[in-house]
Amino acid sequence: MVDEAKSQKPRVGVYICHCGTNIAGSIDIKELEEFSKGIPNVVRVDEYQYMCSTPGQKKIEEDIKEYNLTGVVVAACSPRLHEPTFRTASKEGGLNPFRFEMANIREQNSWVHMHDRQGATDKAKDALKMAVAKASLLEDLYPKSVPVEHTAMVVGAGVGGIQAALDLASSGIKTYLIEKSPTIGGRMSQLDKTFPTLDCSQCILTPKMVDIDRHPNIELMTYTEVEKVEGYIGNFDITLRKKARGVLTPAEAEARGIVGGGCNGCGDCEGVCPVIKPNPFEMGMAPRKAIYIYHAQVVPLIYTVDFDSCVKCNLCVDICGDKKAIDLEMQDEFVTVKVGTAVLAVGYELFPVEKKTEWGYKRYDNVINALEFERLICASGPTGGKVIRPSDGETPKRVGFVLCAGSRDNTGIGKPYCSRFCCMYSLKHAHQIHEKIPGAQPYIFYMDIRSFGKMYEEFYYRIQDEGAKFIRGRVAKIEEDPITKNLHVITEDTLLGQPVDIELDMVVLASAVQPTAETTHVRNLFGISCSGDGWLLEGHPKLNPCGTTTAGVFLAGVCQGPKDIPDTVAQAEGAAAAASIPIHVGEVELEPYFAMCIEEKCAGCGMCIDQCPYSALALVEKDGREVMQVTEAKCKGCGTCGGFCPGGAIWMQHFSTPQIVAQIDAFLLGGEQ
Amino acid sequence: MAKAKGYSDETLSVRLADRYYRPEESSDDFLENVEKISMTIPHMCYQCGTCTGSCPSAPRSSYRIRKFVRRAVLGLENDALTDPDLWLCTTCYSCTDRCPRDIAPTDVIMAMRNLAFKREIVPRNFLNTVQFIYKTGHGVPNNDVNRAARVRLGLEAEPETTAKYPDFIPGIQKILDHYGLKDKADEILAEGQ
Ligand SMILES: Cc1cc2nc3c(=O)[nH]c(=O)nc-3n(C[C@H](O)[C@H](O)[C@H](O)COP(=O)(O)OP(=O)(O)OC[C@H]3O[C@@H](n4cnc5c(N)ncnc54)[C@H](O)[C@@H]3O)c2cc1C
Ligand code: SF4
Ligand code: SF4
Ligand code: SF4
Ligand code: SF4
Repeated sequence: MVDEAKSQKPRVGVYICHCGTNIAGSIDIKELEEFSKGIPNVVRVDEYQYMCSTPGQKKIEEDIKEYNLTGVVVAACSPRLHEPTFRTASKEGGLNPFRFEMANIREQNSWVHMHDRQGATDKAKDALKMAVAKASLLEDLYPKSVPVEHTAMVVGAGVGGIQAALDLASSGIKTYLIEKSPTIGGRMSQLDKTFPTLDCSQCILTPKMVDIDRHPNIELMTYTEVEKVEGYIGNFDITLRKKARGVLTPAEAEARGIVGGGCNGCGDCEGVCPVIKPNPFEMGMAPRKAIYIYHAQVVPLIYTVDFDSCVKCNLCVDICGDKKAIDLEMQDEFVTVKVGTAVLAVGYELFPVEKKTEWGYKRYDNVINALEFERLICASGPTGGKVIRPSDGETPKRVGFVLCAGSRDNTGIGKPYCSRFCCMYSLKHAHQIHEKIPGAQPYIFYMDIRSFGKMYEEFYYRIQDEGAKFIRGRVAKIEEDPITKNLHVITEDTLLGQPVDIELDMVVLASAVQPTAETTHVRNLFGISCSGDGWLLEGHPKLNPCGTTTAGVFLAGVCQGPKDIPDTVAQAEGAAAAASIPIHVGEVELEPYFAMCIEEKCAGCGMCIDQCPYSALALVEKDGREVMQVTEAKCKGCGTCGGFCPGGAIWMQHFSTPQIVAQIDAFLLGGEQ
Repeated sequence: MAKAKGYSDETLSVRLADRYYRPEESSDDFLENVEKISMTIPHMCYQCGTCTGSCPSAPRSSYRIRKFVRRAVLGLENDALTDPDLWLCTTCYSCTDRCPRDIAPTDVIMAMRNLAFKREIVPRNFLNTVQFIYKTGHGVPNNDVNRAARVRLGLEAEPETTAKYPDFIPGIQKILDHYGLKDKADEILAEGQ
């Protein structure tokens, strides 16, 4: 069938989809059908309500045989949606699936030209002409299968990354878990309790952290960053920078011949270190030394030297003694690992809410942000869980919570999106104030309470029942009494229609969240996109929320958009499952869109080699002269070399020069060539 | 439309009158006109109250800028234009500074004042201001108290305005005449006598 088709004059079948009224509502299907019959090489035209349905696909399958088609064109939606569907139908009909071509007359036409029926119909004719021109020249192509490395990588070890790594590892895949901080746990380990059940955050997270440390399939690398990513799905080569930690694990010590040595977490070093710095884990509210751990439950329990502040006095080295765990001359190391797929779970940071100057953060002592509040109320925090006013150490009785602090803000200073967990954690904070401070009165300043999750509305009910005062108004400004350092929160109670001035002892800003400063760097390394607001872009907002547009790279947690712990864990499990599929299948098909060298035309100049962003090209010796060669598995078919080659010696499969020229001619000349 | 209930007692009729808002009460083009004149987007208001909370007039009066924005959204033209509160904005622009939806509520008020003026709804003191501007180039002309204060601060008694350069007053009058503002003000003020 296939060979026969090749030798023939092109015979193209055209199928026009109504997509219910999505297309038929703004494009004249009859007119398009009549027009198609006159396009050169078209031997069969049909239309249908829903081409993607089983009867629609059957039409294609049957016609391929009956009309001996060499090419198939469907005018319908975006190829991102149904190209695979119709390729399969073409294959079922006995045609090479790459002889199928799609004309997008929905997303790029009917949906955007809803009020111009004739214009839309004319544009659809152009799209069809061009698709037929290309289909007439399409060739049989055969996808390549490449084996998939039986390992995975998870970048970022917050609760999202931890869950993804545990799932991958438990399904039998060796998993590298990469964390840039000295400990795993992310933001969740900074929280005191978690809504709506109020379980202690550390208590539910620590078991998972310990599992990570013990899992035979997990190789945990903390204080490590991704340096370089090469390769493609199934075969990523990822270079990691192991930052100089200044302290050896027992295993590393043993490798250096120090038997029974290495850091055991005793903390003697910390006792003697003379350098004092703020501890970022405690939001700067507690000190740490130049040799430090963030908190008592860190995983792994290994100290870290902050070389930016270490004065190399060697006191720590002396006290560590025979364990010889500290090496103040340590340098960064680089290792390269091969993995089949990767999950990014790099989390978030708080929006710098001092940019909204009207709320006085960083200007007024007693205005704090919500993460600072978490540390203040946490029993293992800097005050042992005693909530105090920063200005005078007194216990605050009247505490205000300002919601949407920097979220839902279209001024260009804040963030246009809803940060999604601040309503709920502010309710939690109101509860904690009630619980810890007898006679305290929390005030919640809100626009909407978004309690959408399971048991969330019930939690809202409970907090209101406990006596928190809800004031529906976005805070206009906060003023500080310079003597008492009390705060006047000024807003309108929009339900009363009256301006209010409420004097409070302390105010907690539910700051918006934003992608971390390094998110762009990580994104570029892995070649994935972000949405307009900077969060990493999923493959499809509804149908592929864990994937990305780069095959083999998946997303978990807040780095894809604000979400609470339950949603983060659910997405992490989804991402892990998706990332494990190619690994368990063991091989992936690569689209055969790679470049090919036409050796007779290649002058061996080698100028294309530096052009390729994926290092897929090399010069090789053939029949006594140098010609270019493509490593097909590395080529992404971007076309850079094809457009560049001065001799026209590079043939881009499925996007060949004759095919593209034919499309242009069809558009400009109406099909004549 | 409020439905008449026909109580014999007039005050009872007023107190028990139908208070439903019905879309028929809305003017079709009020929002559109306000947006055209103000060049801002009151239809994007989510009623957060930041504007009223920022407003220096609000704690001293019944004026609620947020409610005027709402009236724009719903097309409640009569309510907005006949409410004397419309004239209590000081045009300080605090609300415009802080509105999280990037609306300029101050300009919404300015637009409504424009539309009210077209219907000759305007407080007398504003008309007096028009006359002052016509006469002196200033809504609040310089006076002896001011002059003394300026001199104390080491400034010239007269500022660099029409106060010092009265030659420019005819130019200002020409502009006001072009729009018929002064005549209109005189006319309305005379009617009210
Ligand atoms: C004040 C506050 C209270 C909250 N309370 C609750 C609550 O009660 N209940 C609830 O469900 N949710 C709560 N949340 C939300 C919760 O914090 C998040 O849902 C959760 O932490 C998201 O986890 P994550 O793994 O996506 O991100 P993170 O916790 O941010 O983890 C990301 C990890 O990736 C690491 N990383 C970042 N960049 C790199 C890189 N380039 N290379 C390697 N590693 C990297 C980071 O160091 C970090 O360890 C609260 C949030 C805040 C701000
Ligand atoms: S979750 Fe609540 S507080 Fe946070 S941005 Fe959304 S609406 Fe505002
Ligand atoms: S098309 Fe050319 S430039 Fe692009 S990836 Fe392939 S070989 Fe490299
Ligand atoms: S501040 Fe802006 S969004 Fe908020 S109520 Fe006023 S006009 Fe509406
Ligand atoms: S500009 Fe007018 S409405 Fe806005 S805050 Fe100032 S006085 Fe109030």
